[in-house]
Amino acid sequence: MRVTFERRLSQPWWLSVVVPVGAVILAFVIAGILFLATGIDPLSTYRELFNAAFFQTGSLSQTLITATPLAFTGLAAAAAFRMKLYNIGAEGQMYMGAIFGSAAGLYLGSHVSSSAFAIAGMIVAGIAGGAAWALISGVLKAFFSTSEILTSLLLNYVAGLILTYLIFESESYWRQTKGFNATVFPTGKQLPKVAQWPTWTINLQGGIVVPFGAIVAVIVAVILWLLYSRTRFGFGAQVLGDSERAARYSGVRVRRKILAVMGLSGAIAGIGGASQVGDFAHALDGDPNGLQKLGYGYTGIVVAALARYNPFATLLVAFLLGGLQNAGNTLQGPNFPAGLVGVLQGIILFCALGCELLVRYRVRIHRKAAAKGTAAPAPAPKAAS
Amino acid sequence: MATDAAVPAVSMRGVTKRFPGVVANDKVDFEAAPGEVHALLGENGAGKSTLSNILTGLYQPDEGRIELYGEPVAFASPREAIDAGVGMVHQHFRLVSRFTVAENLVLGDRRGAGRYFHIDPSAIATQVRELGERYSLPVDPRARIWQLSVGEQQRVEILKALYQEARILILDEPTAVLTPDEADTLFVTVRQMAEEGRTVIFISHKLHEVMAVSDRVTVLRAGKALATVRTADATPESLTELMVGREIETATRQGRAQPEGVPVLEVEDLWADGDRGTVAVRGVTLTVHAGEIAAIAGVAGNGQRELAEAIAGLRPSTKGMVRVNGRPVHTGDAQAAFEAGIGYVPEDRLGTGLSPTLPIAMNLSLKSYRHESVGPFLRLHLMRHKAEDEIRIFEIKCAGPDQETDELSGGNLQKVVIAREFSAHPSVLIAASPTRGLDVAAVEQVHSYLMQAAEEGAAVLLISEDLDEILALNDRVLVMYEGTLTAVEDRESVSEIGLRMAGGTPG
Amino acid sequence: MNNSLLVVILASGVAYGTPLLYAALGELLAERSGVLNLGVEGMMLGGAVMGFWTVQRVHANTGVALTAAIVVAALMGAALASIHAFLVITLRASQIVSGLALTIFAGAVGLSSYLGNDLNLADSPAAHTFNAVFPKSMQNWPIVGPIIFGQNVLVYVSWLCVVLVSLYLSRTRPGLNVRAVGESPAAADTMGISVTRYRYAHTLVGGAFAGVAGATITLAITPQWVNGITGGAGWIAIALVIFAFWRPELCLVGAYFFGSLQALAPQLQARNIHLGPTVLWTNALPYVMTIVVLVIVSSGTAKSRLGAPEALGVAYVREER
Repeated sequence: MRVTFERRLSQPWWLSVVVPVGAVILAFVIAGILFLATGIDPLSTYRELFNAAFFQTGSLSQTLITATPLAFTGLAAAAAFRMKLYNIGAEGQMYMGAIFGSAAGLYLGSHVSSSAFAIAGMIVAGIAGGAAWALISGVLKAFFSTSEILTSLLLNYVAGLILTYLIFESESYWRQTKGFNATVFPTGKQLPKVAQWPTWTINLQGGIVVPFGAIVAVIVAVILWLLYSRTRFGFGAQVLGDSERAARYSGVRVRRKILAVMGLSGAIAGIGGASQVGDFAHALDGDPNGLQKLGYGYTGIVVAALARYNPFATLLVAFLLGGLQNAGNTLQGPNFPAGLVGVLQGIILFCALGCELLVRYRVRIHRKAAAKGTAAPAPAPKAAS
Repeated sequence: MATDAAVPAVSMRGVTKRFPGVVANDKVDFEAAPGEVHALLGENGAGKSTLSNILTGLYQPDEGRIELYGEPVAFASPREAIDAGVGMVHQHFRLVSRFTVAENLVLGDRRGAGRYFHIDPSAIATQVRELGERYSLPVDPRARIWQLSVGEQQRVEILKALYQEARILILDEPTAVLTPDEADTLFVTVRQMAEEGRTVIFISHKLHEVMAVSDRVTVLRAGKALATVRTADATPESLTELMVGREIETATRQGRAQPEGVPVLEVEDLWADGDRGTVAVRGVTLTVHAGEIAAIAGVAGNGQRELAEAIAGLRPSTKGMVRVNGRPVHTGDAQAAFEAGIGYVPEDRLGTGLSPTLPIAMNLSLKSYRHESVGPFLRLHLMRHKAEDEIRIFEIKCAGPDQETDELSGGNLQKVVIAREFSAHPSVLIAASPTRGLDVAAVEQVHSYLMQAAEEGAAVLLISEDLDEILALNDRVLVMYEGTLTAVEDRESVSEIGLRMAGGTPG
Repeated sequence: MNNSLLVVILASGVAYGTPLLYAALGELLAERSGVLNLGVEGMMLGGAVMGFWTVQRVHANTGVALTAAIVVAALMGAALASIHAFLVITLRASQIVSGLALTIFAGAVGLSSYLGNDLNLADSPAAHTFNAVFPKSMQNWPIVGPIIFGQNVLVYVSWLCVVLVSLYLSRTRPGLNVRAVGESPAAADTMGISVTRYRYAHTLVGGAFAGVAGATITLAITPQWVNGITGGAGWIAIALVIFAFWRPELCLVGAYFFGSLQALAPQLQARNIHLGPTVLWTNALPYVMTIVVLVIVSSGTAKSRLGAPEALGVAYVREER
């Protein structure tokens, strides 16, 4: 039996819905088999997981807390990956957004009385921080053709070191230096009330708290969609993402585009960092076991890839994976080791990647085994004259 | 010659191969005798390459039987075909460009010096040198492939087959990359190999070559083998009729333009580097007038592509000047070239000329989208209407403007490129190998579009390796060799142009 | 003399460079066959955790336990690499995304962390570790003592691996074949070399090397299990392959260069020497220097492609029209 893949002549529209959904189901089946092998009951695990993620009281509020940063890092990855710019530095760009955003929040919070002004300032600062950090990789890619994959990844570690340094190893502007607690364990300065981001409550499930950042993420998704599908900028970027030679041929300024896309991607991750400070932590988190352990930037890549880099699908996937991650945190314990959710996410992504082929190709199974070739004995050619 | 030998070297019966949406070979019968040069004649897309890929084990047929020297075979892999004595020189060489000649020859070898686990480069080199001398195919075994000219690379391909002791040798469009002189030398080698008792299957769509070199001809059309005839009994006319199924009206230029007035395209002492950093264009000076078709002949790799790209803004020049309608054009800037009125049909359709996985509509607006917008926003409706119009006018066969471009056939891909470039009404139109790989009907259409562009007043610069095409369309012929351009006098014959293509000067 | 900063840094540079060297050799083999595997970090963590688990659980003498640990680590690396191989070779998924997925799947928030927690590996030192093999007297020889004779067996095996990989690629038939597969799969295919088989084999062997690299960290350098213990070494190894122009000999040089950079921070801190204004500079140095070296190597555009296999990252499909 031989299996070959044949290019589909046309792609039925429903395939692009059925295939990803099928991939997720397949992933849960594979993970279930793995769980069975390690002595975990998959069905009850899944039930617990989904309850903790979406159904029990207060779960959706918790899920939004993890889904919001994932939406930002996912959109950041989607913005770049779609153009075949593999920015895997959303993690570090988010830290930089948090550093810049909290600086703006701390300063504006004690100098202005308008909350809107302080929050806008934080967002702008977050954009600046994230974009600047991403542009390091962008410039190196555009002018020295250095792999953006490696530089953006390595810069994540540098950004993490800076973050830790600001709170733990220096007396920086961000660090809380007064008070008893500050002498026991280093922490970031608390954001003034004016600069803390608002929340809204929906009267469902005992009150779902929607952070301001989640709404910003939706707005960013809409802007991103408009930008890529409706503007001249997006047209050129789409061509560049498909074929660099065709982009040069059509007159796209490739360097400028690389810088713009990297900057945009970093900026989105940077808003995510500002939202971390403004929405949730209300102080810069420099603990190597805090924000840096959560790996939002890396999970964002999973989110974007599962969403096939579509902004709206990214929001949806961020919500679902945010739920899983939240459930993982809630259930963590001896029966539910940390990392389990990461494993599940990885399997989902593998299945999605593997099944993508089915959208473009048809699988053909040849039942007839090919007969072994037999070399025919034949007269040797006459010697050269 | 052993045309009537009792046991044929190759016998294919009822061979069928299907690809999604197309039957590439439809119950093909084919037979070739030991010591015979057997030509496979047919248009592009007639199924010649598929048939030879089946014979070399690259594809497995869906139906049919194959016998070599009377023994049935079913190759599951290229290795088995090689072991059975089938060798092939592919049209696009299958050589590892960073390897040496010797390394390419022993690759995958199970008989000669390469059968040992340990490889001794100098021993292999000696062996390769001897083989080259025996067949008067001289190449330096230690040279890297990328350092060799295209003609030399073809010699390596042939040597590779001989090194593998191929008794049946398939040559796929071997003259496409050669100058007329080099082609003549190749024919001598082909005859020598046949006289040694080998079977040579010579794939071509050029009649005069088939008439010159083969003993018998099998004509393929639309995947079917129509007939096998002795070359001596055939005439070019009878073969053409078989191949195309109707008489072809070869497009020839009517009333050639006389260069007059101000030249539209002026290129002055242009220098440009190639991809590997070497100088590819060495001081080219050239003018093309409105309504004129200037044709550049030459063997691939002599700087034609780099010249076209420099004029079209895709490659920065290191020195020199390009002017359109008297105004200088910045050479590294494709957008500026487009705005200046330069249209460019590139050699590489899919990948450069078209963005493969984007919809057809986007590819039709690939250059003009900057003008089809309100502020930063695109006018998607306008683009769509334009695409629908152009699909109709240029008869592009597709499912609609939203279809992914790379799903189209070669001829329709080229129509998309031409539709886009023509509808911008360029003052200068550069067409690089615009008909490569197209079937006869599509070739005719492309030719008539080019002539139409000239009639409408564009200055057309045609770059081609196909001398027939150049002779059919030109107002003026130029030859490019190693980065420099020389003009051809009106009275020069084909062989004199060929001499120029090889770097010589006639007379 | 053997206490001088330079000797100490070079000696620990060789030790720190060894996991980089193993991982880079593995990645080099995969890339030479045309498969880019960005999952090195994940495969290293997988090997690190499983190697560590083996020494904690196998009750045998040190030699047996450590050998078993290396074998288990190599198998773990190869098993993880097989996921990538299946996705990109058979199913033609994007090599970049699949490699990233592998790192995320097996990395610090995934499988390695899960195994570390589930098997209760944290907070206890390794039961067996790789130690220096030569007698103390030799280790005390000036300069060469600590640098060359003060190392554990994994270091000497890695030298052997460099020689073997180098000879394999340049002087053997399978080596020639794999280079052809990475440069021009179409040419290799017409010559009857199975592109799929070669790519699978080299991706898996590459994964095994990465697994051993991970075990080198948890069994020789810092003999304990900490979540995410590789700290980006896998990524530096990928950069190293580029830096080495895809040549094994140069991987050796590069690995010790980057190893020395990593050794720099703890050594300087121990001696209370500050490089630049703060400790931040010293800690960030290995990452920043990797970026700087990458930029230098890739800025000469033509040069950077000198060694890169031409078909790197491209799926090979024969029968497509």
